[in-house]
Amino acid sequence: MAAMRDGLVRGIGLALAAGYAAFIAWLYVQVPQSAAEITGGLSASIGSYRIDAQAFDDGVQFFRRDEFAAARTAFERADPARQDARTQFYIAYSYYRQGWGRFYQDDQLFAQGLEAVNRAIARAPGGRIRVDDPGLQMRSGEELKAELEGGLRRDPSDFNPARVLRSRK
Amino acid sequence: MTATREAIALPLVFLTVALFGGLRIADGVALLPPPLFALVLAVLLLGLLVRCGALAPERLMHTSRSMLANLNGLVVMLAAFLASAQAFNVATPESGAPRVLFNLVFLILLANTIAASSDRIRVLRSLLVIFGSAFVVKFIVLSALSRPAEGIAARALQVLFEGVTLGSVTQQAFGPATGYVAFGTLMLYFFGLVLLPPAGRGGLTSTASYTTSLDTNREGNNLEE
Repeated sequence: MAAMRDGLVRGIGLALAAGYAAFIAWLYVQVPQSAAEITGGLSASIGSYRIDAQAFDDGVQFFRRDEFAAARTAFERADPARQDARTQFYIAYSYYRQGWGRFYQDDQLFAQGLEAVNRAIARAPGGRIRVDDPGLQMRSGEELKAELEGGLRRDPSDFNPARVLRSRK
Repeated sequence: MTATREAIALPLVFLTVALFGGLRIADGVALLPPPLFALVLAVLLLGLLVRCGALAPERLMHTSRSMLANLNGLVVMLAAFLASAQAFNVATPESGAPRVLFNLVFLILLANTIAASSDRIRVLRSLLVIFGSAFVVKFIVLSALSRPAEGIAARALQVLFEGVTLGSVTQQAFGPATGYVAFGTLMLYFFGLVLLPPAGRGGLTSTASYTTSLDTNREGNNLEE
């Protein structure tokens, strides 16, 4: 009886330690920033994570009206764990549009946009994200990322006067 | 050692240390894995614990034990190794000259303690002093030097200090919570070290006690002669 109890304790202990070690390894890889990100990340890893569709639609409406700060608030509410690739793509796009200027780019907003698009690419299946929204000129994560990286880069083309003729995507 | 302590308490304690040892809280949360040198120091530390009898590996893994018990023992050993690496990670400054200096001092102190062949109690006391001193220097002294100064005079002194040291001493400023978590983590680590199965209780004789018994025998033989 005592041997059976001993074996049971050892088995439970082994399972507990393995689960805890896996959780720690996951935390070190994902580095979640809030409790919502931890719970969302865990539910995403078993495929049960869902965004708030109503908040997402609100965010898209704000985004289309160029109310980017409000759009991001709605998107953050829709995807508090930052696990949904499409929502993160819209967040990145909102940073791009808000930071874009005919004469100069807002580097801080572009950097935040780059962070968000990298997150979107990381969360997308196979790292490939495509958003079929007719209101967007860039519909893939690669295009948006290249545009944000280009905006952050310093090179002689920054002084090309013809730059003022380009349009926001 | 009871099965509960070996299979549940020790792995959970050491894995918790491994988790929180890398936690740094500033504007966001960062989890830093142990640097390579911390792994080297952790190996040395485990060697020291075995040598002084604070850890008896044969009481964790042995042919006379069942496979499940040996697996539990292996988990304890691995978790103790990771926790040791993270204990060094948490006690070492993040950058600059202090980081190099701390690593060097840790290496010398560990090598010295191994060479001294102390017993379990003395080694645990010594480790407490090593980690305690490192904690005080990192989270109190260096943190005070690196924190943004309040007031013009304090700010001028800080700028002067940074100029004299070429900015090689000041560290990235973390939130106060990082220090509290680090303190708790180091205390938990020592709790885990105390819980480890020591040598000489049904296991093989530790090196220190074995040496002592050899010396006693030798002295006895000399007296007889």
